[in-house]
Amino acid sequence: MERLIEEIPSFFTIWNIIFLAKAMGVTFLLTAIGCFVGFSVGGLLAIFRKTKSLALLPLRIFIVIYTEIFRRIPFLISLLLMFYIFMILKISDNLFLIATITVCLIATAYIGEIIRSGIESINQTQWDAAEAMNFSYFQILKEVIFPQAWKVILPPAFSFFIMFIKDTALASQIGVMELTFAAKILNNKGFSPLLSFGTILILYFILSFPLDRFGKYMERKLVTNRN
Amino acid sequence: MGYTLVYTQVLEFFPYLIKGAWISLQIVVLAFFGGMFFGLIFATIRTFGNKLMNNMVIWYVTFFTNTPQLVQIYFLFFALPEFGILLSPFVAVLLGMTLNAAAYLCEIQRAGFLSIRQNELDAAKTLNFTLTQQVKYVILPHIMKVLFPPLSNHYIIMTLGTSMAAIFGVEELTGRAFNINSETFRSVEIFSLTALVYIAITFLATFMLAIIGRYFFKAKMRIIQ
Repeated sequence: MERLIEEIPSFFTIWNIIFLAKAMGVTFLLTAIGCFVGFSVGGLLAIFRKTKSLALLPLRIFIVIYTEIFRRIPFLISLLLMFYIFMILKISDNLFLIATITVCLIATAYIGEIIRSGIESINQTQWDAAEAMNFSYFQILKEVIFPQAWKVILPPAFSFFIMFIKDTALASQIGVMELTFAAKILNNKGFSPLLSFGTILILYFILSFPLDRFGKYMERKLVTNRN
Repeated sequence: MGYTLVYTQVLEFFPYLIKGAWISLQIVVLAFFGGMFFGLIFATIRTFGNKLMNNMVIWYVTFFTNTPQLVQIYFLFFALPEFGILLSPFVAVLLGMTLNAAAYLCEIQRAGFLSIRQNELDAAKTLNFTLTQQVKYVILPHIMKVLFPPLSNHYIIMTLGTSMAAIFGVEELTGRAFNINSETFRSVEIFSLTALVYIAITFLATFMLAIIGRYFFKAKMRIIQ
């Protein structure tokens, strides 16, 4: 414990603080890109999965298989698999790119599933009524389904955003310079693991706590609305 | 380009890999039931406890659900030796996963507690049920119906989470994949095979949990979402 107190001034130097801030930025960027892509592509997947035309059947089957598979592979394995695929095909050796693509693929599968369950929470009668009024498929989604469904979609979506912040910690395993990797470097430099990993835990907490609170707030608000 | 996938070499190690899946299963079952136990205690405190204990549990849950499980295990594994507590990799991973699961399962179980309505209990009292009868015929069937789907969902998420144990040197499914990788250098083959094994075991788990949930607890569960 005395050693720890002695180390604190040499730990929180300007260089280390900049280093940690950059790492925090990388973690944030990975999550933000993943969530943005996940939300847009996942939304598209959910929309196409509800279509009924026979021509789109192969697409629907593909979407089902895609979401089922990517939600059943651990993030670490898909990350390593993507890493080695990039290596043998010599596509790129940008580690951040590899991690981002993997995060996007997984986020798409998870968020697509959330949006789909949101769409399905709307009663069939609503669809029928809108169809009876001769709305087109996209009009039904835009005017009838999504205004009601987003209340069901948002609370779980927030908890998955937080999950992604935490999952990006695994990107340290292929060497992306994010928070966990920064902690490992500081630890290897001789700082006490208590200090380096403790700081990282607090930084992760700072990143995800506001989102957590906001998600809980939304949930409370939306639930009272519905009753 | 110019890379051909060769699975023959990797398939020789398949039995070795499957034994790793057995260790993964041990970790996830132990951590899940440990988490259920502590989560139940925490959920009880959240529902009936006094303000101080309630706040302590709230902060515990907030902290553990907002920080990565990986860093928590790093902390247990590397920082606790400073206090003279030396954990083996298996114990560190198990402890980390249990603590983490306790936080999530506390929230899930509390939601289950809250789903019981007072008038159901009143009705049971009117029928002159004893406390054990109330628990057996009114509370448990209701709670399990609400709880079983999210619990089995979390079980699947925890199964995926066990792959972290490989980072600390536990020889479970992913750890053994690492070993085979360093022996054969057939990286893509071995990791795709491991991914398939994970898909198979989580699918099997979902299937069995869905059957149990449907026939024992009358929960609405689907195998393919």
